[in-house]
Amino acid sequence: MSGWETVNEPLKSQPGSSSRRTVSRTVTLGRVQPQAPALRTIFCNDREANFAHRYKGNSISTTKYNIFTFLPKGLYEQFRRVANLYFLMVSILSATPYSPVHPVTNMVPLSLVLLFSLIKEAFEDWQRFQNDNAINNTLVDVLQAQGWKTLQWRKLQVGDIIRVKQDGFFPADILLLASTNADGVCYIETANLDGETNLKIRKALEKTWDYLTPEKACEFKGEVQCEQPNNSLYTFTGNLVINNQTLPLSPNQILLRVFSECLSSIVSNVVKGCSLKNTDFIVGAVIFTGHETKVMMNSMNVPSKRSTLERRLDKLILALFSTLFSMCLLGAMGSGIFIDRKYFYLGLRQNVEDQFNPSKRFLVIILTMLTLLTLYSTIIPISLYVSIETIKFIQSSQFINKDLNMYHAETNTPASARTSNLNEELGQVEYIFSDKTGTLTRNLMEFFKCSIGGEIYGTGMTEIEKGVTERKGIKVQEVQTSNDSVREKGFNFYDGRLLRGAWRNEPNHDACKEFFRCLAICHTVLPEGDESPAKIKYQAASPDEAALVLAAKNFGFFFYRRTPSMIYVRESHVERMGKTQDTSYEILNVLEFNSTRKRQSVVCRYPDGRLVLYCKGADTVIYERLGSGNDALNKATRDHLEQFGSAGLRTLCLAYRDLAPDLYESWNEKFIKAKSSLRDREKKLDEVAELIEKELILIGATAIEDKLQEGVPSCIQTLSRAGIKFWVLTGDKMETAINIAYACNLLNNEMKQFIISSETDAIREVEERGDQTEIAHFIKEDVRKQLKQSLDEASQYFCARSGPKLGLVIDGKCLTYALDSSLRIMLLTLGLNCASVVCCRVSPLQKAQVTSLVKKGAHKITLSIGDGANDVSMIQAAHIGIGISGLEGMQAVMASDFAIAQFRFLEDLLLVHGRWSYIRLCKVVMYFFYKNLAFTLTQFWFTFNTGFSGQRFYDDWFQSLYNVIFTALPVIIVGLFDKDISPPLSKKYPELYKEGIRNKFFKWRVVAVWAFFSIYQSLVFFYFISAFSSTSRDRSGKMFGLWDVSTMAFTCVVVTINLRLLMMCNSITRWHCISVGGSILVWFMFIFLYSGITTPLDRNENMYWVIYILMSTPSFYVTLLLVPVAALLVDFLYLCVQRWFFPYDYQIIQEMHKDDIHCTGPSGVVGSKQQLIADEERSNEISQLPREVSKHSGFAFDSPGYESFFASQSGKYVPPNAWDVARRASMRHKATPK
Amino acid sequence: MADMNRERHRTRETAFYLFTQQSLPACKPVLTPGWVITIFLFMGLIFIPVGLITLRASHSVVEIVDRYDTECVPEAFRIDKISYIQDDSIPKNCSRFMKVHKYMKAPIYIYYQLDNYYQNHRRYVKSRSDKQLLHGQKYHDTSSCQPVELNNGQPIVPCGLIAWSLFNDSFTFIRERAELKVNRKNIAWKSDRDHKFGKNVHPFNFQNGTLIGGGKLNPKVPLSDQEDLIVWMRTSALPSFRKLYGRIKEDLDADDVIVVNLMNNYNTYSFGGKKKLVLSTSSWLGGKNDFLGHACVIIGSSSLILAIVFTLLHLKYRRPYGDTSYLPWSRKSLSG
Repeated sequence: MSGWETVNEPLKSQPGSSSRRTVSRTVTLGRVQPQAPALRTIFCNDREANFAHRYKGNSISTTKYNIFTFLPKGLYEQFRRVANLYFLMVSILSATPYSPVHPVTNMVPLSLVLLFSLIKEAFEDWQRFQNDNAINNTLVDVLQAQGWKTLQWRKLQVGDIIRVKQDGFFPADILLLASTNADGVCYIETANLDGETNLKIRKALEKTWDYLTPEKACEFKGEVQCEQPNNSLYTFTGNLVINNQTLPLSPNQILLRVFSECLSSIVSNVVKGCSLKNTDFIVGAVIFTGHETKVMMNSMNVPSKRSTLERRLDKLILALFSTLFSMCLLGAMGSGIFIDRKYFYLGLRQNVEDQFNPSKRFLVIILTMLTLLTLYSTIIPISLYVSIETIKFIQSSQFINKDLNMYHAETNTPASARTSNLNEELGQVEYIFSDKTGTLTRNLMEFFKCSIGGEIYGTGMTEIEKGVTERKGIKVQEVQTSNDSVREKGFNFYDGRLLRGAWRNEPNHDACKEFFRCLAICHTVLPEGDESPAKIKYQAASPDEAALVLAAKNFGFFFYRRTPSMIYVRESHVERMGKTQDTSYEILNVLEFNSTRKRQSVVCRYPDGRLVLYCKGADTVIYERLGSGNDALNKATRDHLEQFGSAGLRTLCLAYRDLAPDLYESWNEKFIKAKSSLRDREKKLDEVAELIEKELILIGATAIEDKLQEGVPSCIQTLSRAGIKFWVLTGDKMETAINIAYACNLLNNEMKQFIISSETDAIREVEERGDQTEIAHFIKEDVRKQLKQSLDEASQYFCARSGPKLGLVIDGKCLTYALDSSLRIMLLTLGLNCASVVCCRVSPLQKAQVTSLVKKGAHKITLSIGDGANDVSMIQAAHIGIGISGLEGMQAVMASDFAIAQFRFLEDLLLVHGRWSYIRLCKVVMYFFYKNLAFTLTQFWFTFNTGFSGQRFYDDWFQSLYNVIFTALPVIIVGLFDKDISPPLSKKYPELYKEGIRNKFFKWRVVAVWAFFSIYQSLVFFYFISAFSSTSRDRSGKMFGLWDVSTMAFTCVVVTINLRLLMMCNSITRWHCISVGGSILVWFMFIFLYSGITTPLDRNENMYWVIYILMSTPSFYVTLLLVPVAALLVDFLYLCVQRWFFPYDYQIIQEMHKDDIHCTGPSGVVGSKQQLIADEERSNEISQLPREVSKHSGFAFDSPGYESFFASQSGKYVPPNAWDVARRASMRHKATPK
Repeated sequence: MADMNRERHRTRETAFYLFTQQSLPACKPVLTPGWVITIFLFMGLIFIPVGLITLRASHSVVEIVDRYDTECVPEAFRIDKISYIQDDSIPKNCSRFMKVHKYMKAPIYIYYQLDNYYQNHRRYVKSRSDKQLLHGQKYHDTSSCQPVELNNGQPIVPCGLIAWSLFNDSFTFIRERAELKVNRKNIAWKSDRDHKFGKNVHPFNFQNGTLIGGGKLNPKVPLSDQEDLIVWMRTSALPSFRKLYGRIKEDLDADDVIVVNLMNNYNTYSFGGKKKLVLSTSSWLGGKNDFLGHACVIIGSSSLILAIVFTLLHLKYRRPYGDTSYLPWSRKSLSG
């Protein structure tokens, strides 16, 4: 408890602190709705009355454009890109007489690029439109004229009474009025909402139970006063006024519409998920419609992240712009100097336009600038962005999503790239921030040990303990578990003293009894299925809870039935062994679990009238609320808790309190009042709960094992060999966290470890004095001291290569202070030099803060991986967010950029896909840079030979099609298929990944090398062709003119540039050959056609018949052989020398495995055709899988609610997940006080 | 049939599978020393012969170049050449002697070469109207011909700076008192004559202005037959260029002396351009151009040298390929 409070305190005290502001900005999710002061009043079943309010209809639209806005809006979006805008400006400039080129030169590439982008946009929007349509046209029964009438969803209006049948979806947010089930209860499945598959109960208010038939429902004239539409999924405040009686409403009565994106997949029959279950039908009143439903308000516009490579690309483009500018300036100066009347043939004596007027040289320079700007526009690679987008889209949708190595067969979950922006970022990750529970561990909870009345039960040994003992050098003796021990999923416990009723013989059997009862009663689990111990299934909010109830069952306290007010437990008889007796406990109140409370209580009445409050919760919270006395027990249990913690177990304390009836009654009144309050209901409820959850008596503690996920240690080891550093951010205790870190290979004894903890005696002493400012000051000083000391000690290892690796462990409380602006630098310096960092007891906010500390402070690429709602903040704060689409809800996945099923798939995602993607995109970018520069420079050299007049060298069409046709496709092929080494090798040599971290392939040095080759090649092109042109003639001695020479030059450029691509490929598939050959062929086909026809349009140049004359001369062929070779020879030499003397790491690996390439390579596949076919079928299955990500879910017991986290960020208090247990209706309390 | 379809379907699926799993069949060229040496050797073996053949072709061309712009100005006018060339009253004829140093086989091409003449200047290149050249006065929109578009309110055919600055030096060749026959037909591109210059378009109002740029045209001859104009209007790529003047159909023997009587009309003096007369035979490769041959030989021989260098390197300091000691992480582990 204190952990959470103190974490938030300093932030509250300095609301303007910059760190907080930045963090909250990066993690803001969806629109935070300002609380409108006005309440919404809805008249049920009365369309006229509601008409005045003009509520929105129920049709939804998720499209970005409509028919009319498509062009303007779509174009606007496109022109927000600098390159496109630049080309637009240049195109406009081309229409002026200053332009040497026809407008077509710049218009064609621009319009092709725009067309391509717009078609893509239109296609995507069309799909959204189809989905919306399908949803809007789903049918539902609406009450009209005393009968049910089937209408489309979109025709639904606020206040309508509707009927939803079994397995139907809720078309809007509706208020449950009546159900065919007894007690007005209905069951719903919310898998589409939060991924939880368990059924939940919604219960109608008693007053409305009767309005089930159309005849009755017509009579219903209620008035709902409720909050304005907002995005908080788990809260609802409102009142229902019927017959002048005001009844409070809770989320319990509200049925939410499902996400439209889930719906669309449902509509297309991909997901067989339903909403209403085990209920024939329900009747409800529509409260929020269409875009005002909570889910739609919640549909988040996750701000799209841009990859670092793209941001660096911007710099490159900027550099190109400045090159362009200086080229233009140089040329313009030249023209100013050159222009002279002495060139009489230029007709400069009279009627000279400004651009060539020798007496206005300054104007000449300015106008020639414009001329050259349009001429050299090809230096900006206009199709670069489109190409990159296309490549990335295919990479993510075809390669990442369909990779069989990242397909989890058990849960039928493929990897899923939710954005295609960040593929190459995956190849440069240096810091991974990982959640523990559910990410490193399975989140599969098993009851493992317990401590009852100061005695430890349970004989098992966790893997962590085994690891610890092994490290100490002791051989682990495999404990023989007897064959008859009870083993069940969720229950991995053996101790003869407790099982099969043996507990009765224990000295503390009364404590045992309390312990088991607490387990059986204090929970919010729903039983499902047959009421026999073997067949029953428990639906729980978290796997911990289910494990506890399961444990109670195995101890002989079988919870088998729950009604809204009762819990039925089949207890093994207290005295007589083997006999059972069914006992029913009346549940009077449930004080729910949430992240601030970190505990859960139930007030129940025994059949004999005994009133007991059972409480279970985190140790810190429970210990704060224990009554006096029993110190021996408390101390013993505390020791046990520590022992459990160091074994990596999750612990909970159980406690109870006997209540006197009058004390309870007076408290219950307050509770009911709090419950029916309209404002701050949850806060008031918490306050009331505090009043009764005190003076508790400790019973014992439970220990639950959370097993490590498959392959986690080896994956972590591989990734750390790849130079990736791990930060584990967990809410767990320090001991647990350290042990998990040990188990995962994150920490080991060879490492130099620094532990910064707030659990020191000095701090505890100060804390006991209770002065908040003093505590804060003291801890801060202490943290500063510890940090400084660690840093001093660590700094001696920084430079030493062979020194031990460093590890840092810090707890949440210290972190709060260490993140302070004065200490931040120290923390960062220390943390960055550590191979692994473990932060325990951290809040979601701190997770985000730590992530952005490294992201912004160190400018390193960060990746966050997590599975729960509490990881959402850090997933969004990091460069790349990865969600585990496994056991918890969908929120992490919804906020993530990539979703994978298992932690170990990270290896494939980073080392294979990320690395490739990075290398490929670097190549693509560099190639674009090179090909545009080389091409444009030939123009530039020509300018020097034209008296700086800005005469174009190439025909308009050559120039306009150069980027979009003649050199467009091969580079995309390289971006897709280039493959330096095979996936098994990149996992075998994870060190190769470091090349990405160091950004070896996109440095200014690399750019300079490419620029050098561009310059060299352009010089070769221009001067070789000039030399060729000086004497070359056709058979009859006729000389070649400008356009003949330029065609020759362009042919050489196209051939060379395309061949250069082949030289940079690591693997050449037939698609490479087809595209490169095709591009060259297309050029020849184009020029054959183009120079073969005369168009009626005056092209004002003599392209006619040029290529035929050229190709009839042998010198054409000699030149065509010579120029590309001369241009590429130096490149080739560079490649040879580079590989010979300064090889990249991957090149060594290539050489090492040059010979076995065929075994791992695809050609070996032929031999295992059978295998191939099986794999294929799997991949086909994957490709047909729905995009539904999660199957099972539940919140980890100690994971704070996601809603409340975000609300608290925006300074509001919103209660967390309302777990919907059927509670005693508050009305009933009033009616029957006893 | 169904089997075939299924087979085709299966093939497509396999291809798609290989695509998504990124295991398309590919060859993976690795630049091993063997490959490097082989490729350089190969290049050397290709380019040296090609270069030698090219050079041979170039050397087989006999070329006589005579710069006449300075020499043809009488001594008295050498200080102010511009006034000489602009003064119509001074006779411009001039005689040059060209000595044939090697046997020249017919046809011998006569070129005039201009240096420092920016025929590729933007203002110059665009100052023409292809439509007018083809359609004559029927085509009115000749704004592109600025500034030589109209004269005395009448359209000029052919309009524009290029036509206006038509080269007008003329040459006659005499060998041993007998005039050599010069064929001035078929010196322009056939595609130009047939498709770009109108058969019924006659020069009109040409060179009638106050400023005379260059040669005049016979108004009786249609543009499609004005080959000098057509040649001139195929603008050159670079400021130094040759244009075909005609062909001599007779062989010239070594030590023949040719007397060239020329009319030095064209003004290159104002901007310091050079005028040259070129007599040249032709080879299969075209004119005399050692550049291509030299370039080929240089590339070929440097490839050979590189091949040798790499071979020596390979023999002497053998770099074991796939040597893990090159890997930084293994290096570190070795040292630590």
